[in-house]
Amino acid sequence: MATLELINIKKKFGDFTAVNDINLRVEEGEFVTLLGPSGCGKSTLLNMTAGLEDVTSGEVHINGKVVNQLGPFERDVAMVFQNYALYPHMSVEENIGFSLRLRKRPKNEIQAKVLKVAEMLDLGKFMHRLPRELSGGQQQRVAIGRAVIREPSIFLFDEPFSNLDAALRLRTRGEIKELHQRLGVTSIFVTHDQEEAMSLSDRIVVLRLGQLEQFGTPEDVYSRPASKYVARFIGTPQMDIFAGAFVNSGGLHFQIGEAGIPLPVSFKTPDTAVDVGIRAEFVVLGSHGFDAAIRLVQPVGPFTYVTVDWQGGSITARVNGVSHMKPKETTKVYIDPEGLIFFDRITEKRIDLI
Amino acid sequence: MIWGVVTSLLPLSSLISRPIDLNPANVTVENFILVLASSRGLFSGLINSFIIATFTSAVGLVMGSMAAYALARLNMPNSSRILMMILATQMFPGIVIVIPLFLIMSRTGLVDTHFGLIIVYLSFILPVVIWILKGFFESVPVELERAAAVDGASPLQTFRYIVLPISLPPLFATGVFAFIEAWNEFFFAIILTRIHVKTASIAIAEFSGQYQTLYGQMLASAILASIPVVALAIIFRRFILEGFVEGAIKA
Repeated sequence: MATLELINIKKKFGDFTAVNDINLRVEEGEFVTLLGPSGCGKSTLLNMTAGLEDVTSGEVHINGKVVNQLGPFERDVAMVFQNYALYPHMSVEENIGFSLRLRKRPKNEIQAKVLKVAEMLDLGKFMHRLPRELSGGQQQRVAIGRAVIREPSIFLFDEPFSNLDAALRLRTRGEIKELHQRLGVTSIFVTHDQEEAMSLSDRIVVLRLGQLEQFGTPEDVYSRPASKYVARFIGTPQMDIFAGAFVNSGGLHFQIGEAGIPLPVSFKTPDTAVDVGIRAEFVVLGSHGFDAAIRLVQPVGPFTYVTVDWQGGSITARVNGVSHMKPKETTKVYIDPEGLIFFDRITEKRIDLI
Repeated sequence: MIWGVVTSLLPLSSLISRPIDLNPANVTVENFILVLASSRGLFSGLINSFIIATFTSAVGLVMGSMAAYALARLNMPNSSRILMMILATQMFPGIVIVIPLFLIMSRTGLVDTHFGLIIVYLSFILPVVIWILKGFFESVPVELERAAAVDGASPLQTFRYIVLPISLPPLFATGVFAFIEAWNEFFFAIILTRIHVKTASIAIAEFSGQYQTLYGQMLASAILASIPVVALAIIFRRFILEGFVEGAIKA
């Protein structure tokens, strides 16, 4: 187990800055996800942590020691690649045991360890198969086994689920989480899937264009997003954001188009122009509020997401269970003031107003 | 092909009679025995060709694979320019360079030596080898090498345990290509050799004389000379069909 610290990490490819001045500290045994859309620099950051790519400037510390000059092996990290990168000419057993064979461990020790890891990952029956004779999920587990057998101080995962189908992805996600709970090894996980990040991580690093947008717990990034960007990136359905203004007539309101949302007395009005973000669970459809026409009804099982035309835009509500609303019908929209998240219109940063 | 086999199995008298006498009773292996024993030197020609082609393909593979790997994987300054220069060497017709080449080689005493011919063949086979293998090395997923690095393999161990084993089929195919090129080469061989290192292709051509052409012996020689090439092609097919890389990476 180890701590990982990145200090002023920068990476340039020619004129293009892929990673710009990242600072973060990962504690022992933590599971941290690097989250962002493609091109945000998350894989580059992971590769620099692994020692597969040089940093342009900055320092990588593992357990308090600068490791900039060390290769991946000396850093004592193990990595699971997006495409698994299994050695195609080696059997499952040889793939998992390759690192031990390189270190010239005694044969019976290698065999025993490989067997133990393989059984833990449910690969015991496939020891002599080649990677191409395995299913996607099995290949994935071999890749994990190859990392686990090293007993590294840090695990690095580079979008390990992106080649799996949806059902398998969910199962493997659970397996990785369990593995982390069992082994307690510090893990860095790269993904562009916010749900994956939310469900796996102790903390999430949200990246945007090579810059750190927010570093916080899943609850932080969901309920207290640092910026509009984070707010839109995290959560399903996507947060709706409206422009509006504070109006003080018969109590403080936040006015969006025709609709005024009453605010508590304790509210501090800011000096700057603000936009407001509203998550679907704070939008209530029913008998009171403002008129709206239903545009889209999307049942997902436990909930139905109902999107309505509202104040020149659209807003999505989360309705419990199966809704029998139909498009083109009208309903009323009530916004729970508890759920309003305010952003500075210019800087796009969240501002706390309570 | 069939005509060649038939011709090689008939005595000259049957071949030059009109109409051609295809009487099976005349079938003989005399042509084969004659060409192998004759002073025309087919046998030594075969040996020369074998030595030259083997060395050309072996040296070409070793040098070519290293150059191709470096060009495909290492961050080399001007690597695209180097590649264009390598390609440019292919653009000179042989006939343009053969006379200067002969002068250089006669001054350095390389005319009519195995070594001289191997160098000449390498000069035009090596670029092709480099281009073919570079394409292959580029298709090897870089993650494989990264995974090996994470597993603690040095660059040399990565090459030895990962890249080399999965590269065997293309290496072998390229080697066969180089061998066949060198084996069949005629133009440079006829100009740059005299007596000692006459290759099989020259020896065969010499059956066509000023006063008569010994068709039977010529084709018997040709068949003998094509045996190694055909044998290689058969093995080569087996190797190339093994899709080693398949299954390494899920796209």
